[in-house]
Amino acid sequence: MGAGSPLTRPVSFALFGRISRIKSPFYPLLCLILLCALSAGCAQKVVKPNPPHPGFSGAHRAGPVAEQELQAVQANLKVIYFDYDQYTLVPDAQAALQYNAQILQQAPHVRIVAEGHCDERGAAEYNLALGERRARSAVNFLASLGIDPQRISTVSYGSELPADPGHNEAAWAQNRRVYLRAVQ
Amino acid sequence: MTKRKRVLEPGAEGSAVDAKSRNSMIGRRKIDKRFACRTRSGALLFLLLFMPFLAVMPDFARAKLVIDVNDPSLVRMPIAVGDFISDQPGIVNGAELARILKNDLYLTGLFQLVEIDPALPYAANGGPDFQKMSEMGIQALVSGQVHVQGDQLVLEARLYDVALQKQELGKRFTAGPRQARQIAHRLGDRIMGQLTGIPGCFSTRIAFAGAGNPRELFTMDFDGHDLRQLTNNGSINLSPRWSPDGRSLLFTSYMRGRPETWWLETATGRQALISGRPGLNAAARYAPDGREIALSLNHEGIPKIFIISPQGNILKRLTNGRGNDISPSWSPDRSTIAYVSDQAGTPQIYLIPVTGGQPRRLTFESNYATDPDWSPRGDLLTFTARIEGRFQICAIRTDGTDMRVLTREGSNQAPAWSPDGRMIVFGSNRDGQSRIWIMDARGVVQAPISPVPGKAPAWGPEVR
Repeated sequence: MGAGSPLTRPVSFALFGRISRIKSPFYPLLCLILLCALSAGCAQKVVKPNPPHPGFSGAHRAGPVAEQELQAVQANLKVIYFDYDQYTLVPDAQAALQYNAQILQQAPHVRIVAEGHCDERGAAEYNLALGERRARSAVNFLASLGIDPQRISTVSYGSELPADPGHNEAAWAQNRRVYLRAVQ
Repeated sequence: MTKRKRVLEPGAEGSAVDAKSRNSMIGRRKIDKRFACRTRSGALLFLLLFMPFLAVMPDFARAKLVIDVNDPSLVRMPIAVGDFISDQPGIVNGAELARILKNDLYLTGLFQLVEIDPALPYAANGGPDFQKMSEMGIQALVSGQVHVQGDQLVLEARLYDVALQKQELGKRFTAGPRQARQIAHRLGDRIMGQLTGIPGCFSTRIAFAGAGNPRELFTMDFDGHDLRQLTNNGSINLSPRWSPDGRSLLFTSYMRGRPETWWLETATGRQALISGRPGLNAAARYAPDGREIALSLNHEGIPKIFIISPQGNILKRLTNGRGNDISPSWSPDRSTIAYVSDQAGTPQIYLIPVTGGQPRRLTFESNYATDPDWSPRGDLLTFTARIEGRFQICAIRTDGTDMRVLTREGSNQAPAWSPDGRMIVFGSNRDGQSRIWIMDARGVVQAPISPVPGKAPAWGPEVR
């Protein structure tokens, strides 16, 4: 993996970066195929290069997702933002989730933790509930797009883990979010 | 009953009489005469006892918003605390002990601390110079002597009625050499009991969550001293709440990666998971008798209020509907639970019988009302409301009348009553960082107390 990383990482990440600007549903598909091809080479170094017998093939397939696939999926997932004290999905949030759903469909073995966050204003405990509702809004919308809700768990951090530590409107807008974390 | 002259000073502002007010002695004598015919023995006791109630008398207008930070109608009792004298001045610092007591009394908002010549309490024939202090308008005097006996610190303290020239309280306190502060607090508790009929809460501790990352839990004396770290798990720990016996706490912790309710014994540091259901396990509070716990769970979908056993078994789901329900607070008679719900679109406070039934909405004046905490006397709730874009600590009667705004600077959060119902602890960022503050129940005296940044405070019970 040590030798593979410097080559594969910049290439695949740059591709995804461009996709996120173009917003075409085909590019992530293409890139995922490319990525899988690239990461498969690396993954063999991480997992087992050659399964000793056929019985292990299935186990290998159902086993941990390659770290690099996780990283690639993670880098491509969009953050979903919310209005103040709201957990309903605004059009931008719905678009981001539609995009994320395509990513997740291409990486069926990646599991997701939907982390709900709030800005610092308001009550810490109420924000825990609000963060949970935001995470569930995201999960429900992904489910409506065909993503198995069993793949996604939720965790609310309320206002405890701001992405931007500032105390202004711009920081608060960054902090009212659901972050989809790709996990094994 | 003897007729007595009492000095009543309306609208006392500062914590101590300054030069200006000392010079206004003539004006004060006039007031004295005016009130003399009406004030009798016990009148002050009455005033002090019922001051918190007078301060929240309903004006029969439903939930009228009243900014009431500097109510001029309350009269604070002028009291003097002489430096405690010691014949072993190198070993015990009597002046420092007296300072701790003075700070305790000041923070209640019920007293006006009068600075006096250190010789006055011990002047004539070894007794206090009552005449001089009476002329200064002082109504109560505390004096004391400290010495070390063996390995024990001994404080002999006296409380005098200055007008009657009479000793109201004489008490001897002993403590280990490291417990000097506790001696002063215990004396303060007794003085409050003598003057108001309800002992003080100066010997209690406050738990809170740090404001940094990781967010560990701490406890401290009510005046901010003797800080101790409770948790050391490197994670996020929130919402500490005391057990009724003061020996343990419930709290929300992410130590296993998600919000779960944990129990912690303060003396041993022993911990146990109480509720680790999927989703939220947050804002847990013991019932006043400690036999049940109310908390917010969303393993069935939306965060709702549940009642569980102290071991964590679900006894009952209390709330229904489409709102996020969180922050339960038990009434002291454990008949009702106040909680926050956004079922009407914005977070508001509702009351629901513990037996279940229809919730009743309590708050209407703000579009954001959270963090209810039921007063130990049962007549009031304190909570956080957004007012003109900022968060303020408020108090409201349980029938929804007489809402009062107690803070007005900065952003203020998560209020909790002191066990005697005379003070409120809360988080505020008004001096630039999140810190724990306390104030009297009317918001007249407000002071920062936590030595480190913090939030989400909980006032511990009196452990005697």
